[in-house]
Amino acid sequence: MEEHSNQVCRAVDLTDRDIYEAMRDIPGYLDITPGDFREIYQVAFRKALERLQQPVAVADIMTRQVVSVGVDAAVVEVARVMAEHGVSGAPVVDKDERAVGVISEKDFLTLMGAGEHRNFMEVVAKCLSAKGCVAAPMKRQTAGDIMSAPAVTVEPDATTAEVLTILEQRNINRVPVVDRTGRLMGIVTRGDLLKASGRRGAP
Amino acid sequence: MRYLAKMRGTTQSPPRVGPAEIFWSWLGSFLGIAAVAYLHYGMLADSDLLMIIGSFGASAVLIYGAVKSPLAQPRNLIGGHMLSAVIGVTAYQLLGSQLWLACAISVATAIAVMHATKTLHPPGGATALIAVTGSEKIHALGFLYVLAPVGAGVLIMLLIALLVNNIPKTRRYPEFWY
Repeated sequence: MEEHSNQVCRAVDLTDRDIYEAMRDIPGYLDITPGDFREIYQVAFRKALERLQQPVAVADIMTRQVVSVGVDAAVVEVARVMAEHGVSGAPVVDKDERAVGVISEKDFLTLMGAGEHRNFMEVVAKCLSAKGCVAAPMKRQTAGDIMSAPAVTVEPDATTAEVLTILEQRNINRVPVVDRTGRLMGIVTRGDLLKASGRRGAP
Repeated sequence: MRYLAKMRGTTQSPPRVGPAEIFWSWLGSFLGIAAVAYLHYGMLADSDLLMIIGSFGASAVLIYGAVKSPLAQPRNLIGGHMLSAVIGVTAYQLLGSQLWLACAISVATAIAVMHATKTLHPPGGATALIAVTGSEKIHALGFLYVLAPVGAGVLIMLLIALLVNNIPKTRRYPEFWY
């Protein structure tokens, strides 16, 4: 039995008394000894840990129905599409559906006068300090002009742990998932990672 | 020393079951054995057929007394007895001149085959052995032994197990069929 034990299993050790009492509470004759149960429990626990530590591929959790915008789309059109679909960012694709950049609310905020922190309150502060709220310069621009490029992308066999590191290091909220040729296959957002961690254990 | 240390045991005996469990075990096995014994002594007494053999007492322990046990499930009850019966009759017919060898071969092979077919049922070992050590009447049955008493007997006992074990709220049977 010793070889099955490890630190984690010991941390949740059941006593023989616990097992004996449980067996007594369950009606009917159980055809195992408390020792059998302990051994099954420890091995099963270790297997569960191994399962939860298995890397999860991005392909398994990504959103496949991606809201994307063309690189030539007018900024006003981009804003409309994002508003309509309720997304705060979208991949920008060229004619061959290759992800060339990502456009997000942050890019809009920058254009509207947000400074280094690129958040909405900066824009509000700027507006209120009488310089005027100027979304106007954006009018003639296209997605390609204001997007963050090149796109930070991952391939579908990347693990959720790798994506999490990328999101944290780049301080971004989503990465497009692309195939070998850079063609858009899906997108993984922080929300997708959160959902996956609830379903299968930590990413 | 590890070898000898293993003989000390490592754990304790499971808890005793409650009085209700004891009652239902008693009632189920009474009715199950009553059914096959009545057919045997009441209806087939004057015929060449049998309906009861000793290994049914052992099956009763499992299917009425340890109803959750994997060993007590229908697959094991029926498969274990019938496969062992075939092996027992075959062993007697091939090795009848060396009875000690026929006994050992029948039981050992029955256990191996029950393991391999996931039908392990301890009374099966007795069913195989009885085919060799049994009376003239049993030997005269030949492979009919597989169908009656063995097949017919265990089906009747299974029926009683299904009827009785599912009456109390705290019991259910079977855990699985196959």
